Amino acid sequence: MIELKDVNKVYGNLKALDSVNLHIRKGEVLGLVGPNGAGKSTMLKIILGIAKPTSGTVLINGKVPSEKDWREFKASVGYMPERVAFYDNLTGMETLKLFARIKGTKIDRMINMVKRILSEDILKRKVGGYSKGMRQRLNLAQALLNDPDILILDEPTSGLDPVGSREFYHILKDIEERKEITVILSSHILAELEDKTDRIAIIKNGSIKAAGSLKELYRRLKLPLKLQITIKDKDEVLEGMLRGLGVSDIGYRNGYLIASVPSENKLRVLSAMLQEKERFQDITIKEPNLEEVFFGVH
Amino acid sequence: MYTDAMIAIAHKELADKLKSRWVIVIALGFAVFTVVIAYFGGATAGVTGFRRMDATIASLTSLVTYFIPILALTLGGGIIADERDRGTLDLFLSSPLSVGEFIAGKFWGLFFALTLSTLAGFGISGILLITKLGTGTLGSYILFIINSMVLGVIFLSISFLISVLFYERSRVIAVTVFVWLFFTILYDLGVIGLLVTTKGEISTGIVSMLLMLNPVDIYRTLNFLSIGEFSVVLGLASVEFPSYMRPVLLWGVSFLWIVLPLVLSYYLFKRRYVS
Repeated sequence: MIELKDVNKVYGNLKALDSVNLHIRKGEVLGLVGPNGAGKSTMLKIILGIAKPTSGTVLINGKVPSEKDWREFKASVGYMPERVAFYDNLTGMETLKLFARIKGTKIDRMINMVKRILSEDILKRKVGGYSKGMRQRLNLAQALLNDPDILILDEPTSGLDPVGSREFYHILKDIEERKEITVILSSHILAELEDKTDRIAIIKNGSIKAAGSLKELYRRLKLPLKLQITIKDKDEVLEGMLRGLGVSDIGYRNGYLIASVPSENKLRVLSAMLQEKERFQDITIKEPNLEEVFFGVH
Repeated sequence: MYTDAMIAIAHKELADKLKSRWVIVIALGFAVFTVVIAYFGGATAGVTGFRRMDATIASLTSLVTYFIPILALTLGGGIIADERDRGTLDLFLSSPLSVGEFIAGKFWGLFFALTLSTLAGFGISGILLITKLGTGTLGSYILFIINSMVLGVIFLSISFLISVLFYERSRVIAVTVFVWLFFTILYDLGVIGLLVTTKGEISTGIVSMLLMLNPVDIYRTLNFLSIGEFSVVLGLASVEFPSYMRPVLLWGVSFLWIVLPLVLSYYLFKRRYVS
């Protein structure tokens, strides 16, 4: 659907994007992960047609878009930038009506969705009196005005409290259930992307270091699994046995023995542990989380 | 090309200026300004009371040349920097809206705010002056209003160029002040300096050309051509203009002064923000 081929972007002496290759498929939720200044926003702007690559190609539906194609593409996109203050002198409703006209649509089409995001009472108030969270909700509402096929969200939960953040993902889930929508979600809050994305692209210093599902990524990176054994006391015999099975980083915390297991040794460790089941109360093996994958990428 | 998106942007700009009472305050300022000048304009000669319309236009012109440019420059100078600081610029650029529509929408909105306040201010005071002085010189006064609106629109157009060229508000303010100072004071000092150093031997053709390079001088010249004998107040009485210096030509040059900065703004905006 959207393809970036060897895209470079240079601002003066700064190389913001370095040979970026990425294919965004129709209907997928792609998480774009990277530290601040990694090039996430630049990449999103290039996908949106706001910024042009210094070199390389952006393909939309398999072709290099003309001016007219960009216009049509933009009409099908909802974009939520990281930070928008909007106009303090307009009410929430006036703001949305303005952006609906700019997007060539009418607010009536999406009024139910809008009212789910912001109550009627809040919509009648001037944006100048909005909290940061309310502005962020208004930002999401404006992105949805044209009932987009592609939703581009740049750090969407920054400034939201945990309740607001959870509500945001509920709304996003509802949208995904209602229609097939492609979502590009950029964030540096790794935990919140973990179970909300189909694929993750990790961007560092302007280049995509890895892309794929979380499982694909940790397998590719050969990251170990996390072993957690509920145990009464420190058990040196068990420790010795685990070491013999290739288990490393053994430590104790809050009544657990915690260690790392190479994924290829998982079954061997489990069957060996079953032979010693009187030595512990419970055992869990966890896959690496996004944070571990992120830090495993260099 | 007038699209609904462009009209929406223009409408917002105009509505902002109406809601903030900017239009009404400026209109009232112009109206009070005109009546005071018309009534007290001759006070230095020990006379008060409504003077001839031509004399009033001459006095108004010399003040408007300072006032309208700074008003128009500050009106549009921060238009892009403000959207950028607010984060709304990216929203506009990610919408199915061309750069031309965006700039045109902004321009038309402020154009109407500026011309409406000028028309209302000088129009209301003009009605009062006509009731006192009669309709004899109504034509000159109408031309003065039109010329004042054109002057405002020229500087509005220049302010768009400043806005596109400079990111930061502080720089926009500094450049705005410099541009205002340049066109209202420094440029004429330069022309006078040139006349003095060449001992007045420079041809009127060149002087006329130089005047046409400054929109403030075009404005003065246009009003000079309409009020005749009182033009001494404008400091142009000693200038003998070539025959081609007619209002049509000056309006044509004014049109270029409006269009060229806007076209440049368009291309520079594209280069700076969509590249």
